[in-house]
Amino acid sequence: MRQAGTYSAILSGGVSGRTGPHSLPLARIKKIMKRSGDDVKMISGEAPIVFSKACELFIEELTQRAWMMTLQGKRRTLHKEDVAAAVMATDIFDFLVEMVSDSNGTQMAPATKSNISVAER
Amino acid sequence: MAGSGTGGDHANYGGSSDGNPAAAAGQCSVREQDRFMPIANVIRIMRKVLPTHAKISDDAKETIQECVSEYISFITSEANERCQREQRKTITAEDVLWAMSKLGFDDYIEPLSLYLQRYRELEGDHRGSIRGEPLPTIRHRSPNPSTDVVPFFPQPPPPSFVVPPPSGPPHLNHLYGDGAGGYYYGMYGGGDGSGASTSQDPPMPGFDHSYAPYKQ
Repeated sequence: MRQAGTYSAILSGGVSGRTGPHSLPLARIKKIMKRSGDDVKMISGEAPIVFSKACELFIEELTQRAWMMTLQGKRRTLHKEDVAAAVMATDIFDFLVEMVSDSNGTQMAPATKSNISVAER
Repeated sequence: MAGSGTGGDHANYGGSSDGNPAAAAGQCSVREQDRFMPIANVIRIMRKVLPTHAKISDDAKETIQECVSEYISFITSEANERCQREQRKTITAEDVLWAMSKLGFDDYIEPLSLYLQRYRELEGDHRGSIRGEPLPTIRHRSPNPSTDVVPFFPQPPPPSFVVPPPSGPPHLNHLYGDGAGGYYYGMYGGGDGSGASTSQDPPMPGFDHSYAPYKQ
C-alpha cells in the first residue's frame, strides 16, 4: 500500500477508465501532439496513452531535479529558477533551455549556475 | 460541429504559434487552456515526488506545465519525422517510444512499455482484440534496470521500530533443538504457535519474509 503509485494507476482508473481522475487528459495530449507540426496527420489511439504516462515520468523527473536545486540553495520553495537550473544541468532537457531562460528577460542567477556545475557534473 | 471546433483550434494556434509560451503565463486568465495540461494534474504529480513540507511557487508550476507541452511536441516531431520517412500517416505508440529512446529518454521505455502492455491487456478484455504489434526491445544503458527506475520514485521510509538482530534464534535453535526454536519464533511474533511442529523450517526465514519490503 505504501508503495502504490508506480503502476497502480493502471489498475485504478488511470488507463481502464481512460479519463479517470488520476490520468492526464488524453484529448488534451492529442491536441498538443497535433500542434507539434502541420504535417502531423493521424495519431494512433495508443500514442496519447503512452504520453499520459510519459508526461507523468517527465514531470516527476523534472520536479525532483528542480527540488535538488532548491535544497542546494537551502530553500523550501521550489521556484522557476530551480526548474531552469535543473534544465541547464540535464542533457536530455536541452530542448527546454529556451523555454526556461528567456522569459521576463531574467536569466538565472550566476550563483545558481556555478552550483549546478559543481553538483551535477 | 467537429469542423468548427477544429477551425477554432487552428485560429488559436496561428495567433500565438511564434509567441513565447511563457509570455502568456504572465496573464493567467488569458492562458490558452488547450495548449497545456491542466495545472491541477501537473501539481498533483509534482507533489507526489516532493516532501510534504515543500512549497511550489506559481511560476514554477506554470513553467513545468509549459515544459510538458514542449516535451510532447518535441517527442511527437521526432516520431512524425520517422513516419514521414517510412511513408506512414499514423503516429503509433511504437513511434512515440522510438522517438523517446532516440532523444535520450531511454529510462522511460521500460515503464512505458509495461504500461502499454497492461493497457492492451485491459483493452483486450473489453474489445476482444489486441493489436499484436511487438514492443520495441530497447535495452537500458545500465546493466541493472531496477537501478534506473528507482530514482523516479521515493524510497519507502525505514521501519519505525528496531528489528531484533537475526543471529540469536537460529543459533539457539541449533543448540537447544526444535523446542527452543519454536519458542523464540513465537516470541518474535513470526509464528502462530505452530513453530515447534514445523521443525524443518528454520525460524529466521520468517523474519526475512516479514521485512522483505524494507530491504529492496
